Amino acid sequence: MEAGARARSRELAGRLWALGPVLLLAACVGLFVSTGSSLVDLIGRNPPPLDELDIRRIELRPGEIRIRVTNPQADPIAIASVTVDDAIVPFALDGPREVKRLRSSTIVVPYDWVADEPLAVGVTSSTGIEVTRAVPAAVETPTASAKGFLGYGLIGLLVGVVPVALGLLWLPSLRRATPQWLAAFMALTAGLLTFLGVEALFEAFGRQAALPGGSGGAGLVLLGVAVSYLGMTFVSARLRGRGSEVGGMTLALLVAIGIGIHNLGEGLAIGSSFAFGELTLGTFLIVGFMIHNVTEGLGIAAPVAEGSGRPTLARLAALALVAGAPAILGAWIGGYVASETLGVLFFAAAAGAALQVVVEVGRFVARRAPGGLTSGHAVSGFLGGVAVMYVTGLLAG
Amino acid sequence: MPKSRLTRRRLLAAAAPLAAAPLVGRFALDEGAGAAGVRHAGHAASGHAAMIGETVPAVGGPHDLDELLYPPPALPYQPGRVREYRLVARDVELEIAPGVFFPAWTYNGTVPGPVIRATEDDLLRVRFLNAGSHPHTIHFHGIHPAGMDGVFEIVGPGEELTYEFPAKPYGMHLYHCHATPLKKHIHKGLYGAFIIDPPEPRPPAQELVMVMNGYDTDGDGSNNFYTVNGRSFYYAKHPIRVSRSQTVRIYLANLTEFDLVNSFHLHADFFRYYPTGSSDRFEYTDTVMQCQGQRGILEIEFSNTGTFMFHAHQSEFAELGWMGYFNVVD
Repeated sequence: MEAGARARSRELAGRLWALGPVLLLAACVGLFVSTGSSLVDLIGRNPPPLDELDIRRIELRPGEIRIRVTNPQADPIAIASVTVDDAIVPFALDGPREVKRLRSSTIVVPYDWVADEPLAVGVTSSTGIEVTRAVPAAVETPTASAKGFLGYGLIGLLVGVVPVALGLLWLPSLRRATPQWLAAFMALTAGLLTFLGVEALFEAFGRQAALPGGSGGAGLVLLGVAVSYLGMTFVSARLRGRGSEVGGMTLALLVAIGIGIHNLGEGLAIGSSFAFGELTLGTFLIVGFMIHNVTEGLGIAAPVAEGSGRPTLARLAALALVAGAPAILGAWIGGYVASETLGVLFFAAAAGAALQVVVEVGRFVARRAPGGLTSGHAVSGFLGGVAVMYVTGLLAG
Repeated sequence: MPKSRLTRRRLLAAAAPLAAAPLVGRFALDEGAGAAGVRHAGHAASGHAAMIGETVPAVGGPHDLDELLYPPPALPYQPGRVREYRLVARDVELEIAPGVFFPAWTYNGTVPGPVIRATEDDLLRVRFLNAGSHPHTIHFHGIHPAGMDGVFEIVGPGEELTYEFPAKPYGMHLYHCHATPLKKHIHKGLYGAFIIDPPEPRPPAQELVMVMNGYDTDGDGSNNFYTVNGRSFYYAKHPIRVSRSQTVRIYLANLTEFDLVNSFHLHADFFRYYPTGSSDRFEYTDTVMQCQGQRGILEIEFSNTGTFMFHAHQSEFAELGWMGYFNVVD
């Protein structure tokens, strides 16, 4: 009894000990902070803050320009002067004049801007540091409207659902293929997903780099990739159930989810670029995306063809929606909710999901394909998938 | 670029105690002017082109720049008379546009520095104290002996030098620091107007001094603000009141750094322009162009009363602060 109590108290002491380093750290931090800048004085002198506000968003409304700025540095920055095309303009503020770390303010400039012509806005801090941002061509920033909502929805439908559904129509042809050829098409699926994953990862890092310094480093991308990769692993574990392996419709669903998350990012990219006037949403671009994404349908069809059962038309339609419909959602988010952090996370998630599905498909090909992963059909199928995505990607670029 | 910023900030810190120091020299401006107009909330004016009066983004009250705008009176010709001035170089942070602070190097706390005026053949004696953080000089335009040129006689921080020479020739001249790097020492604000009156006095007139300048506030080698007499849009906020019954004489100089030329354009009237003010030759025009260091005298007989704009005819300069109004009354 007594021995038991002693053991318990020892255990408690052991747990309390874990608090030791935390308390000591707090004491050290307190000591360092209380000495002020004397440590810096030993070495030299801190450089002055850059005082460069980050111009995050420029919205053009009839007779008005709205400029959203964020303070990316530790010291506050005061907005002092605003220029449009190198001319000082009167302005009002929707937000604080002195912008604290990572806070934002919106500058409202009454201005008769000229449609379709380039425009540059400049914001000068109280210390005289001017940052400028150019608008390549002034077009009115879309605001939420039923028509616009429908428009973005249709774009998402055209570049997401339609091509994936068309790609699925290759299913009957795939069913007649020999096991070797089927393995090649499965590998092709892996190839195109790898391409999408790399592309999404690159996009995520690019967008992350453009974020203000304090909004998380490259770790933000890792977070997105890890969450989606592990989430997809969880989903695939649940789908396959105990012991059985992933194949047929189940694998097709995983591929569809992976592609769907990617299309969410793609829709977001199209929507936000258009909203910022950075993208000419021409026929050519939409056609490019459609051709690019038809191959995604093929990627989903391959595991379906490999499976034993005959899926109903409704299930096929569901697959097309899972893979394609997120493009619609993405276009809406991109068009109306401009959050750069969200964009980074979306693309990181797309990368994680695509890579996880590549692993699943890879396992499948390794187990089931004649000759495994290193067979000529598998290797050339994979390379073919990457090449097809690259070539059709040129159309959308 | 970062280097210039560093210097800028160090001065910014160094200028703080100086701003409170008592003024030296009778031509110094009201020091409080630098801190005046602290918070001008953004005005959503009806239109930019129509900016006038209280809606204009300019710093300060109606008489802040009077010392720079109105020159000391001309004195009658009296060869050998001593004209004494005292100039003190100081680092001061100036508010040049609402909320925009420029770590300036100044003569007597203002940019441009005080107006120095003498009559031809006066003995000009300028006592110069360098209370700034860098070596400076005063280089006068005009005719003077070799040792008085402000090029080789570098005045270090805390040092003094007295410039002494007979004032000539008559005309509108200027003075500026000639320490190296020259571009830096000039664009940070060490310059001013230097008027030498002719032996035969000019006819009475309403006399004004306008020194055109620019400020590169972010150290990228191009100006962010343009002004006359140091504050952007100041005379749009506080139009210069003149009478139609008497000639308006403007002593105009260009001390804009980085840009090749600056200009002066008067609306709705013409003026006689005497280049350098050193002869009777003039041009009858409404627009003059001056390269850096060029100067001249304008004489206007206003035909009409009302509010008339004047500005640099480089639209960019005008829209970055070099714009103002005359309010012509009977």
